Amino acid sequence: MSEKNSVIMEVKNINLRFGGVIAIQDVSFNIFEGEIRAIIGPNGAGKSSMLNVINGFYHPQEGEVWFNGEKRPSMEPYQIAKTGIARTFQNIALFKGMTTIENVMTGRQLKMNKNFFWQMLRYGPAIDEEVQHRRRCEEIIDFLEINHIRKTPVGSLPYGLQKRVELARALAMDPKILLLDEPMAGMNVEEKQDMSRFIIDVNEEFGTTIALIEHDMAVVMDLADRVVVLDYGKLLADGTPAEVQSNQAVIDAYLGVPH
Amino acid sequence: MFYRETGQFKSKYKEELAAFPLAEDKVGIAILLVIAYVFIPIFGIPGLSFEFTMGAIMIPVFIFTITTLGLNILLGFAGQISLGTGAFMGVGAYSCYKIMTIFPDLNIIICVILSGLVTAIVGMIFGLPSLKIKGFYLIVATLAAQFFLEWAFIRVAWLYNYNDSGGIEGTNKEMFGLIVSGPQSDALTRYFIVLTLLVLLTWLASNVIRGRIGRSWMMIRDMDIAAELIGVRPLTAKLSAFAFSSFYIGISGALMVFFWLGAAEVESFDVSHSFTYLFMVIIGGLGSITGSYMGAALVWVIPVLIKEIGKTAFGFDAFVMENFSIIFLGVAIVVILIVEPHGLARLWQITKQKLRLWPFPY
Amino acid sequence: MEILYAILIAPFVEMGSYPDLFIQALWDGFVAGTLYGLIALGFVLIFKASGVFNFSQPILVVLAALSLVSFYKMGIPAWISVILVLIMFYVLAWLVERLILRQLVNQDGNILFMSTIGLTFIIIGAAQWIFGGVPSAMIVNELGFPNGSLEWPMFGGGVYFEMIDISAAVIAVIMIVILAVFFSKTKIGRGLRAVADDHQAALSVGISLNQIWVIVWFVAGIVALVTGIFWGARSDVSFALQIIGFKALPVLIIGGFTSIQGAIIGGLIIGLGEKIFEIYWGPLLGSGVEGWFAYVIALVFLLYRPQGLFGDKLIERV
Repeated sequence: MSEKNSVIMEVKNINLRFGGVIAIQDVSFNIFEGEIRAIIGPNGAGKSSMLNVINGFYHPQEGEVWFNGEKRPSMEPYQIAKTGIARTFQNIALFKGMTTIENVMTGRQLKMNKNFFWQMLRYGPAIDEEVQHRRRCEEIIDFLEINHIRKTPVGSLPYGLQKRVELARALAMDPKILLLDEPMAGMNVEEKQDMSRFIIDVNEEFGTTIALIEHDMAVVMDLADRVVVLDYGKLLADGTPAEVQSNQAVIDAYLGVPH
Repeated sequence: MFYRETGQFKSKYKEELAAFPLAEDKVGIAILLVIAYVFIPIFGIPGLSFEFTMGAIMIPVFIFTITTLGLNILLGFAGQISLGTGAFMGVGAYSCYKIMTIFPDLNIIICVILSGLVTAIVGMIFGLPSLKIKGFYLIVATLAAQFFLEWAFIRVAWLYNYNDSGGIEGTNKEMFGLIVSGPQSDALTRYFIVLTLLVLLTWLASNVIRGRIGRSWMMIRDMDIAAELIGVRPLTAKLSAFAFSSFYIGISGALMVFFWLGAAEVESFDVSHSFTYLFMVIIGGLGSITGSYMGAALVWVIPVLIKEIGKTAFGFDAFVMENFSIIFLGVAIVVILIVEPHGLARLWQITKQKLRLWPFPY
Repeated sequence: MEILYAILIAPFVEMGSYPDLFIQALWDGFVAGTLYGLIALGFVLIFKASGVFNFSQPILVVLAALSLVSFYKMGIPAWISVILVLIMFYVLAWLVERLILRQLVNQDGNILFMSTIGLTFIIIGAAQWIFGGVPSAMIVNELGFPNGSLEWPMFGGGVYFEMIDISAAVIAVIMIVILAVFFSKTKIGRGLRAVADDHQAALSVGISLNQIWVIVWFVAGIVALVTGIFWGARSDVSFALQIIGFKALPVLIIGGFTSIQGAIIGGLIIGLGEKIFEIYWGPLLGSGVEGWFAYVIALVFLLYRPQGLFGDKLIERV
């Protein structure tokens, strides 16, 4: 359990529509700095859409996103990374043409800036920069125990390892907030245990705020400091895992009781 | 396998990041360079006349390898398909011509490099549609560039200095007291110049690809949305790919006219050439520098050899051999696509893999 | 100022001053448009049914025209020659399916596209070898299509309609209707659409990929033959006809890659647009603008409506 500090991110009155379909309806909640916040709900509840709104990839028709105490303007995807947000994807978005270490290195892209001339010569500033960031990536690879597949093309890795590489890549960005979209999907019990351990380690060692979408209740109860429950795009409950677990509306939603 | 690749540990990241970290690879490259710089100039290729070897095989292969490197950077590494390669070579050739005629005392290598820069700028302009158009549809934009430029090469008479033939021609140019380009230049001199440029450009390309710019291209190629969310700006990545790639293609165009053919007209830069270069990249292997060498060699040399052997050894006439080599190329493309869609480079990797375990099958 | 006038006003004045020439231009553009549409149709058929962009379609047109004329020259009556060409195309479709498509099942669309480029080279080499490179005339009369032209006096001058062009337009319309019905109403048509969507899924519900592909390449061959007859009638049969194939791509961009109606409408837009631009704005720029104008239209389309007028919209999910 991490200390509850200031609010690092807050979404206020978010309304998101795709044509006639209402994905998110008047949802507001906040995320404390350094906590692990879970977003849960039945299928189609709007969880991924919510994550995309937090990410800045989807722009809600109404509502505001406040990050670090400031209202965040609508921005292009490539500007979002600069604000300190990294994420993983539900359907793994690794660069299939590259190896593990190369994928993790891509996370450092924003921090590298030596110009074309030095790049062509691969000398001096360019190579020093490369070495420096390479060191950091190797540390992350060590941390997530994916040393043995450093040079393997990610396309040939099993699903569980691919998810771990994606996590490594997101970590390489040194983010303030890490958004994980179903990090345990498709994993067996052992893999889930490993992944949970890594998520907790990341949160405790680096102090990274984490927001994650997850279906597995046991995982959520163990990992999360606080939980947001969505259903049909609406906010159903917001509180600690224990509070949410005993909330009648939440139980109804999961059991399929009409409401 | 010829040698064991494991057991060579590096204690510094810098060493691991080198172009050829394995000691044996370094030796292999050195041997190839010796063959290119010493063996071939002295002995040529056994069985073929020296003139033929230089003029019909080596020089054009080197030039087209530069073209293939350029197109591979754009298509193989950055994932942007282009059928305008022929026309962009023309941009390189015509701009080199203009620069040479406006500044007749300027060193020709400098003219070639400057024409590469001009092509880089033109390439960026015609690459702008790639910001909105993705994948296969980009063919349309590059074909538009191809056809428009073909028209411009004829219509804009300023490009060929208003001469009647409509084509461009090289005159004798000197460097360090040797005539390096033009009707009186020696094939061997041109061979060394083109070879050296090729080696240099390959080295530069390999550096850029392994660095952050090359990575940004590959990120856009593989998953452009994820790339953006990591912070890669599509505009910068795509336009830089077009620019760098066009630089290479433009240089190869200038070299083609002024270090090989001697003269050229619009037909040398037409759309069928664009397809030929595309084959070189595909057959060689997308996203592979070695593949670029292999693809250019296969697509250029085999038809030339077929025609030559058909003529001298079997006495078939030119018409028959020409058509036979076209059929052969078509069959080669289909066969390679069936056997190994990732091209010769991948075939080579798989071969090496099998040789590691030989004589065991797995 | 002068330039603005020349670009924005003068061409329209020109159109109004000589309305008969304008109508003529419209008709010529219309005819070219139907023929572009027919070539595009060949692409659409194969793409719709197998997801393959068949680069060899234009050369199939040339092959059809060349072999038809050659059979006739050997002394075979016109309509028997047609049947022979159709048989030849069936065999070709079978060979292509057996030797190429079957080996590339489930490969990426780009790979299949490349293989059709390879196929094009093979056909070009073989056809040039067998038929030679000399242009010859299409056997229009022998096939029973009326020759000559109609003149329609109007606006002080007159407009000429070639009989063969009228026949072409009529046949094109008939083909479109038949094909549209074929695709949407028949069992085979549905099978074709399933295959275009997903090879493996189609296989898993029992659709025979091999049969489907042979059928669709054969139908594309029929379209190629029709196109070859009418285009060959306008400008002689030779390998230069291939160039028209490049015009098909802009047509497909505008009409969509999977729409039969789109192919014709796209063809008409390009045909008309190109002709009008060439006659009224061409003199400003110099000759040969029709070489790239179609592509510029297509490019503009792509920037604002990437899926064409009739194509399916692509949605990107994260």
